Amino acid sequence: MGSYLVKRLGASLLTAMLSSIAVFLVVRAVPGDVVAQMLGQSGGSGSQAEDALRRFFGLNQPLHIQYLDWLGGVLKGDLGQSWVRGQPVTEVVLKAFTVTLQLGLMTLAFATFLGVPLGLIAGLYEGRRVDTAIQAFNILGLSAPVFWLGLILLIAVSSLFSWSPPLIYRSPFVDLSDNLATLILPILSLGILQAAAYSQFTRQCVVGAFSEDYVRTALAKGLPMRVVFSKHILRNIMISLVTFMGLILIQILGGVVVIESLFSLPGLGRLLITAIEARDYPVVQGALLMVVFSALIVNLLVDMLYHVIDPRVRVDS
Amino acid sequence: MSMQTSPQGQATPTTATMGRSRRVLKRALRFGRREPSFALGLVLTALILSVALFPGLYSQVSPTDIDTTASLQAPSASHWFGTDELGRDIYSRSIHGTRVTLSIVAGSMMISAFFGGLLGVVAGYTGRLTDMMFGRGIDVVLSFPPIILGVIISGVLGPSTTNLVLALSIVYIPSFFRIARSGAISESSRTYVEAARSVGLTGRAILFRHILRNVMPLIMLQYMILFPLVLQIQAALGFLGLGVQPPTPDWGAILEQGKDYILFAPWISLFPGLFIMISALSVTLIGRSLQKRMN
Repeated sequence: MGSYLVKRLGASLLTAMLSSIAVFLVVRAVPGDVVAQMLGQSGGSGSQAEDALRRFFGLNQPLHIQYLDWLGGVLKGDLGQSWVRGQPVTEVVLKAFTVTLQLGLMTLAFATFLGVPLGLIAGLYEGRRVDTAIQAFNILGLSAPVFWLGLILLIAVSSLFSWSPPLIYRSPFVDLSDNLATLILPILSLGILQAAAYSQFTRQCVVGAFSEDYVRTALAKGLPMRVVFSKHILRNIMISLVTFMGLILIQILGGVVVIESLFSLPGLGRLLITAIEARDYPVVQGALLMVVFSALIVNLLVDMLYHVIDPRVRVDS
Repeated sequence: MSMQTSPQGQATPTTATMGRSRRVLKRALRFGRREPSFALGLVLTALILSVALFPGLYSQVSPTDIDTTASLQAPSASHWFGTDELGRDIYSRSIHGTRVTLSIVAGSMMISAFFGGLLGVVAGYTGRLTDMMFGRGIDVVLSFPPIILGVIISGVLGPSTTNLVLALSIVYIPSFFRIARSGAISESSRTYVEAARSVGLTGRAILFRHILRNVMPLIMLQYMILFPLVLQIQAALGFLGLGVQPPTPDWGAILEQGKDYILFAPWISLFPGLFIMISALSVTLIGRSLQKRMN
């Protein structure tokens, strides 16, 4: 397992490195950088002021020097200074990340506790009415745009209970009930969608397991359904379910971009969008790096869980 | 089949066609009973296509006409889905948005299917260095969650329809690449490839004349399966203000404009969202049924 982990880690790091170069280039590839924007706002655009600003931001350096400078900082945990906010990027990004992390993990928990049982029931009662109903939920859930679901929920709670979530986000360590009140709708709208995906996948796993020889044998030798289900089927589909959990978490990581801007949550997704709009390169790079790294870590964790659950898993693929 | 005559023998053309149409109807009903979700998907898709192709049949009102005296009106007989803050008719905007939104999705997916499919087939068939190089590039694209990549590309390049198409096509190249690559790998070990090679066909001929043709159904199925996802990402980018710019009607863009009025004028957001959902639903139903048949 050790050598496998090293190999896997190496591949991930290489990808992360290439991704960071891609990010770096993409952000700089466009006309109209922060300097042009600043000068445009203040009205004047003397070439002297422009040169000075470019020197100040380090934009006068060749691209590869800029990149290496940045990379050197990253390795030391320093993502640079925000050009627009004047704060250290590491601080800004980490603060936003805690919001996204809380939202993501709670959504994952919701999706798992709703989706997996639904999928198990649907798979067990394949072709019956319960199955049809759950499948309808799955398809509808997967077809509804997440932000639209959020809007509908917002209208629904405000007209039914004349309640709307607090406008300002508070950290759970400051005011837990206020924090949860802000997060409940985002979690529901993201979570219902992901629960539908999870339930659909779980159902497929169960239905697939029923056509396997080991299930047929177990049933044929007279084991009660309850035992076959809990001892044979569940154990065998566990790996797939765990893998899918990683996929869902990455989906959620993407989904937060939209849901955070809809509900004005100060998370990573909203930070990314505001930073792109302001052409605040260091923040864009920092936020993206955080997203990419989170996705890589989730994938690594899933791979390691694989080994824990099933030591037979092939090492090379 | 068309030569079969009705029980009356030599019938006049009109009754013959009536008999035929009744037969077609009967068959359609039988099909609907046997595969209700496939049938529902087909009917909905046909409906949506007709809206996209002939929006004038469904709404004569211009989607961009501003009428400030009728702003933010609730749904009524004159404005079925209500109006937005500029008094534009939401029903007309949703109807006319169908073509805009769906053609962006369909077009960008064609681009990703073309490049992803081509690169994937080549990588899978040639293997080795080409495969490794393409694979690395694809990994980089895949290391970003799709919507985030879309936000970066269209955000950095600036919001416009062209950049939106570009962003969506890049985001989904990996999905087609993977399916085409694995298809090409499994095809290239088949006997017919060996036969073609022993007959003396060049690698390129085998690749494009035989393997690509056999991988095609996989790519098309992938297109159907991905369509609802791409539609949602397209709408999400529009919702974030990164897509089609006003006044052109686009479902995501209408939702973006309705966001600020959500509590006093929910109809602005409600209906375009329903259109997105129904379109995604209908393609999902068809895609799933096709997938079931292919397995």
